[in-house]
This record gives sequence, C-alpha cells and structure tokens, in this order.
Amino acid sequence: MTLLFFKIVNLELRKQMSYRVDFWVNTVVSFFAAMGVMYFLWDAIFTASETEIIGGYSQKEMILYYVLVILIAKLVRGSNQMTGIAGDIYTGELTKYHLFPTPYLTFKYAEHLGSLLPALIQLVLFGALSPFIFAFPDSLNITPLSIITCANVVLLANLLFFTLTLPLQLVAFWADNVWSLVVMNHFISGLLGGAMLPLELFPDWARTVLNFTPFAYLYHFPVRILTGHIQAEQIWIGVGVMICWIIILSAGSWFIWRKGNKLYTGVGI
Amino acid sequence: MGRYSKLYLYFLRFSFSRAMEFRLDFFFRIVMDTVYYAVHIIFFGVIYGHTSMVGGWNFDQVLIFMCGFFLVDALHMTVHANNLWALPEYVNKGHLDYYLIRPVSSLFFLSHRDFAANSFVNLIIAASMLIWAILRYPGEFSPLQIMVFLGLLLNGAYLYWLIHMCFVIPVFWTHSAHGFQMLFYSLKQFAERPDPIFQGLMRRTLTTILPFLLIASYPARILFEGLNTTILIHSGLVSLGLTIFLLWFWNKALRSYSSASS
Repeated sequence: MTLLFFKIVNLELRKQMSYRVDFWVNTVVSFFAAMGVMYFLWDAIFTASETEIIGGYSQKEMILYYVLVILIAKLVRGSNQMTGIAGDIYTGELTKYHLFPTPYLTFKYAEHLGSLLPALIQLVLFGALSPFIFAFPDSLNITPLSIITCANVVLLANLLFFTLTLPLQLVAFWADNVWSLVVMNHFISGLLGGAMLPLELFPDWARTVLNFTPFAYLYHFPVRILTGHIQAEQIWIGVGVMICWIIILSAGSWFIWRKGNKLYTGVGI
Repeated sequence: MGRYSKLYLYFLRFSFSRAMEFRLDFFFRIVMDTVYYAVHIIFFGVIYGHTSMVGGWNFDQVLIFMCGFFLVDALHMTVHANNLWALPEYVNKGHLDYYLIRPVSSLFFLSHRDFAANSFVNLIIAASMLIWAILRYPGEFSPLQIMVFLGLLLNGAYLYWLIHMCFVIPVFWTHSAHGFQMLFYSLKQFAERPDPIFQGLMRRTLTTILPFLLIASYPARILFEGLNTTILIHSGLVSLGLTIFLLWFWNKALRSYSSASS
C-alpha cells in the first residue's frame, strides 16, 4: 500500500512538470507579480502612516512575511487539485477508481502530495534569491530548529487544507458544479489564513475568534514559526487545534462520502 | 451589426435556459462572487485600521475604486470569462474547426457565445455596491463626472477582455491546459490596487503594455481629481493599440492552428 501511495505521488509529480514553459513562466511571473503588488502597497502604507512599525512589523519584516507566505501557501495548497474529486464524481470517472486496489481518497491525497514538487522548487529557488532582491530585516531568527518545525507544520497544514476542501468537493454528489465553493474557500482561507494580510493586523477580537478556526493555521502559523515568533508552548497548542480540525473535517467528509456514494450512479455527463 | 445583435440574443436565450438547469451552481456562483467582494472590502478595511491614506486615497475613495473594479469584473465574468476558459480546450481538441467555418467573426463568436447568466446577478450586486459607495461618499460628483467614470469603466471591461484574450491565445503554440491564464489571474492583482501606489518602470508598464491600472483605477481618478483629458486620451489610445495588437495576434494564431487535436 505504501509503495503504491508513493507511486501515485511520483506519477502526479511527473504530470505537474510536463508543461515546462508554462511552469517556468507561471512560476516566475506569478511570484514577482504577487510580491510587486505587496511591495508597492506596503511601501505606500508605511510612507503614509509615517510610522516604522505597523501591527508589530517593520517594513522589512513585512516584506519577509509576504515572501514566505507566498511560497509556503503554495506548499499548503498544492497545485491545481481544486476540483479533481468533484470532476471525477461529475463525469463518472469515480467508477474507475472503485476498481483500484487503494481507497479513492487516499489515492487523491497521494496526488495532492505529488503536486507539491513545483511548489517545493519555487520555495528553494525564490527562497535563495529573495534576500538579494528584497530588503530583509538585518537579524533573522530563522534557525535549523525553526525550519524543521515549520516543515512539519506545513505538512500538517497541507493535510488540513486537503480536508478543508474535501467536503466542499464531495458536494458534487448533489450539485453539478462545485467549482464556486472551492474558489470561495480559497478567498476566505486567503484572507483569514494570513495569505493576504498578517493576522496581527486584525482587531484583537477577530484574532481571538480566528485562533479557534482552521484558517489561522494554514499560512500565518507556519510562517511565524519559521521566523521564530511563536513559542514552543503555542506551537503545541496550534498543532493540537490543527489535529482537532483535521479529525472533525475528515469525519464530516467521511459522512458525506458515505451518503454521496449511495446516490452515485456512475453515469456521469 | 443587426446580424450580430440577433446572434447575441440567441446566445442569451441559450445561456439563461442552461443556467436554470443548474440551479444550485447558479446559487453557489452568486455566493462566491459576494464572498470575493466582501474579502476585498475587509482587506482594505483592516489596512485602513492602521493608516488613513493609501497612495493618497482615503477609505471612501478606495471603496468607490474597488466597487468600480467589482463592476468591471462582474461584466467580464458575465460576458467573457466562460468563453475564454473554454477556448484552450477547443484549440487542443481540434473543436475550433466548428467555429471557424461559421459566417461570423470567429473572435466575436468564441468570445461571446456563452453568457454566464449566473454571474448576471452578481453584475446587479456589483452595480448596487457601486451606487452605495458613491452615495456614501462625503464629497459630491457632477453628473458629467459620473458619466465619464462609467464610460471609462466600460472601456476598462473592454481592456480586461483584451488583456485576458492575449494571455489565452498562446495556447495555439503551447497546447497547455489553460494557456497563460493563471498568469493573467496573477497579474490581475495589479488592477485590484489603487494606481497611485505604483511608481517608476512598474507604473509605466502597468499603464501601457499591461494596462491593468486603466481598468478601474484611472476611471476612479476622474471622480477624485475632476475631468482630466489626459486620462481620457491615454485610455483611448491604449485601448486602440491593444485592439490592433489583439487582431494581429488572433490572426497569427489562427494561421498556426493545425486542426489536429492533442
């Protein structure tokens, strides 16, 4: 089973790299576009506010935050697996997977993991280049321990994102097109997960609420661990919350999966 | 012109009847776009909790700008987006042949045949939000300013389609799943921010070659800075230049289309 799982990961990995021109153009331009927008926006905000610190961030720390959050968010989301499961249900492709010797959802998670290689390449490439392009803070708290902790939390965040998207995709058993639901999740998790703004900028009451949701642990949490801003005790609490959400969302998905499978006809469109 | 109008009415009729078949999707898409609007307003709301100005614009001004952008985006989602998403598949599977043999402009047909009736509701929501943002603005605008603003937003929607199309057409050569559409959506972020924040070479690029700042930000400046002929001439010339480029690019792409599916 484990061997099969890694074969699926490998297959997806090769599939992701098949359109190389697309990959490199998208990779380079999308990173610099996202960074360009954030750089100019925050430069304008710091200039207008005439202060050196906003929400606990200096301008250099803010830039570092965005470089890291853009790269880590790609690792958490994977690439383009947004409607794969819904598509299989809608087109009737799911029938094929019922004959496979591995559970369908395990197969899909293996594909999701396999799609991470492009994001990993981007992380290494832009992570190495960024200090030469952008002005980072003079002293960084990134240590080998914070890197290892962050890597583990990113893996967990990746699973959390998968379980967060899964029940939305399974709605395809009842609805014809759930693309909008998945995109909606993308917007909400981007804002409430810290991909659009560091969560420290939100009002205190909002931050308190966010700490109980799965969103706060998707992007903001791993980045703050990497930069050494979260203490060991808070990391354990955060990991605990993430595991609780993964269990809740998996149980919910399993329930929807069982219900949906009873309705599934395999006819497709 | 009459023939094209009649054809478009047929497109509308088919699109609405199809949308009514998928009622849940109809509802989901309305909610999705509403969430998109809310996320961007909250984004700026949080930022303005820490500063009073961004690029010289206050929150009321940014709200009008963003609602203007929502209107342009809703227009694009309603009229063009579905068609542009489908184009790479037609090219890659060789289905484009069916559209090239019709006695109408292939560019018109392929860009307009699928009217997203479910996004039409969002168009109404976005228009309502723009009216609300203008009404709550503490200053006053003359009727002429508002008319020019709306005219430039329409031009912005046209530019939006032109730019998007330029990112889809490379699929004739790359044969990838979406052309460079992901790239377009990455670059689209520039259109979602006020233009005064961009400086230097970046600003020149975003107002000429990739005119994202002309989509909603330049039109908004007509309201805040008064009628400005430079903005009108600039927007007109860039739209004309990009139209000429798109027609040339489309014809070049069609010449390289082999009809073979891949």
